[in-house]
Amino acid sequence: MSQTQTDPRPPSEEQADLSTSDGLVARVRLILSRRTEGRAVALLMVVWVFTLLFEPLVWTSYEVTLGRIALVGLVALGLTAVILMGELDLAVASTLAVSGVIMASFDSLAVGVLAALATGLIVGAVNAFFVVVVGINSFIATLGMLFFLRGAAFVISGEAPVRIADVDAGIAFGQPVIGPLTPRMLLFIVAFVALYIFLSHVRVGREFYAVGGNRQAARDAGIPVVRRVFTGFMISGFISALAGVINTLERTAADPTAGSTVLLASFAAAIIGGVLLNGGRGSVFGTLIGASALGMLQVALTLSGVQVDVQNIVIGSVLLLAVITDPSSLRAAAVTARGLFRSRSERQPTG
Amino acid sequence: MTPKTASGTRTLPPAAQVEQELETRAFKLSEWMAQQGIFLFTAVLVLFAVVFIDGFASLPNLTDVFNRAAPIGIVAAGMTFVVISGNYLDLSVVAQVATAAVVLIAVTNAVGLVPAILFAIAIALVYGIVNGIAVGVFKANAVIVTLSTTFIGLGLLRWLTGGSIYFGESDGPIRTFGTTRIGPLPLAMILFIVVTVLLSLVLTRTNFGFMVRAYGSNREATRLAGVNTPLVVIGAFTMSALGAMLGGFVLAAFSNTAVSSMSDGYDFRALAAIIVGGTSVFGGRGSVMRTLLGVVFVSVLTNIMVLSGLGFGFQQMAIGLLIVLAVSVDALARKTRAA
Repeated sequence: MSQTQTDPRPPSEEQADLSTSDGLVARVRLILSRRTEGRAVALLMVVWVFTLLFEPLVWTSYEVTLGRIALVGLVALGLTAVILMGELDLAVASTLAVSGVIMASFDSLAVGVLAALATGLIVGAVNAFFVVVVGINSFIATLGMLFFLRGAAFVISGEAPVRIADVDAGIAFGQPVIGPLTPRMLLFIVAFVALYIFLSHVRVGREFYAVGGNRQAARDAGIPVVRRVFTGFMISGFISALAGVINTLERTAADPTAGSTVLLASFAAAIIGGVLLNGGRGSVFGTLIGASALGMLQVALTLSGVQVDVQNIVIGSVLLLAVITDPSSLRAAAVTARGLFRSRSERQPTG
Repeated sequence: MTPKTASGTRTLPPAAQVEQELETRAFKLSEWMAQQGIFLFTAVLVLFAVVFIDGFASLPNLTDVFNRAAPIGIVAAGMTFVVISGNYLDLSVVAQVATAAVVLIAVTNAVGLVPAILFAIAIALVYGIVNGIAVGVFKANAVIVTLSTTFIGLGLLRWLTGGSIYFGESDGPIRTFGTTRIGPLPLAMILFIVVTVLLSLVLTRTNFGFMVRAYGSNREATRLAGVNTPLVVIGAFTMSALGAMLGGFVLAAFSNTAVSSMSDGYDFRALAAIIVGGTSVFGGRGSVMRTLLGVVFVSVLTNIMVLSGLGFGFQQMAIGLLIVLAVSVDALARKTRAA
């Protein structure tokens, strides 16, 4: 809503200086300005060029790259649903860790998976409860949950990795089933398609945009805002739990410290993918592009023998750049800069 | 909205009406809990510990509790400025405390104490200015910004140190600072109290403190009043960074060692202390003295858990829960006030 209000110029003025030959350019520009994926595409291009030049192994060993993109992307998809509504779920990484540990502590694999996924749904519901019913800012509520769940993962696992009961099933899970695609990638694709259809073709999903764009207007239009926020957080919790299950199966053990790098990378993927932190704008395609860029970046750094610490520096810098180059951030910075260079008396239009 | 219009149509004269509203407000439980609850909770917790926990009420243990509270307390006192300015928290204190500790010991060993302190101050200023510019000028979300600066800072520190432990000289000034006592009080404890009082004065008595509180309660009004709001935010984050630096110094002096992982958990313990103390996470309301009480509460709670044999996992769970509950009380109090 804020982006529509801040432009003080009347629209006619903008159209007036367009001659007919520039009409096409203007239309393309208009379409581009409506898209939010620009920064993700730019980052992906940079990563592509660099990997082609310096680390072509990223492309030849594409199974590894695709697996990494699926890891980063899955959590980022869940986050997208929450951020679209202008909320944030910091608890995703801890949900991932705790659901993995819960899954591994059951003897039966099927029961463990169900328990883990149920945990994700419950965590999402609890987050949503604190955000919309109690009325706590989602940053703080999910931050508290992050600490709580991280502690819970330590307590349940006894502060050590837990092996899953059925190791053979775990090993089988890591094998490709269709072409080079492992179950992890297939699940990622399923989640992506499902979320795309949900957010763009299902009424409930489209209402997420309304809730994020202007919550009061959404409420006045009769959208059950509370229920939508619950749905969003439960999607995010469920997908994080799913990522935790996949992780645990592939490693055949649950690590209570899992997910700290995933947290950073998935946030960076969603935000640089153009999902506006204030809500209401963004798409799963942007998240996919962002996740691809970050996944490739991580694989390239790992293959080049760069330490985890330096990788954290790089991903952290990408996230910082992503929040700073957010359109609303740039606008805020421009306002501040204008205020610095223009004294108060000059603010009146002079000519 | 409807209750307000209903009260407006009542026939009471305005003054009496206001008085009546004030009276009913005073008895709202949630508001009372948000404002004064900390006194009761701390008293109950201490009483519980004295009665049920073996070894809590011994003098060595109590001194230990307060000694351990010193670094976290100094960090929390500085971070209070960020919370009051309405920017939620500064997660990057984890990186800042560890960096200050490692710089103090490593650079003192290599060059000397004064260069070490100057270098640490320079690093703290960089943290404060980077966080402050991203949040104050670009209006980016403080949680995300400080999350990324945490990873950048810790990544740099671990990369440069290789995760190794640094030991200070066995008879150096750092060791002396860590072990000196004035009367029964350790020097670190006295520094903690002095810093708290000083920061409290900065928040309540200076122009800067007033602007931080004003910005926290109403950003737009503060900006329209002609305040340079980006500078206020940068200032708040710099206070937090300087607090984290001092906390890191004290932490390093305790053991005369420094390692990049020594500040794990400082982010949420400091936040818990600030919020439990009654500083509103919504900005504008709170004080450094309240944070002092919150630090006592969190330290006693942690000590009880340690004495009962509950590990780091349980402590994280408890403090995560504490943060959510304390903010819930605050949120409910705000709702009552608005109704």
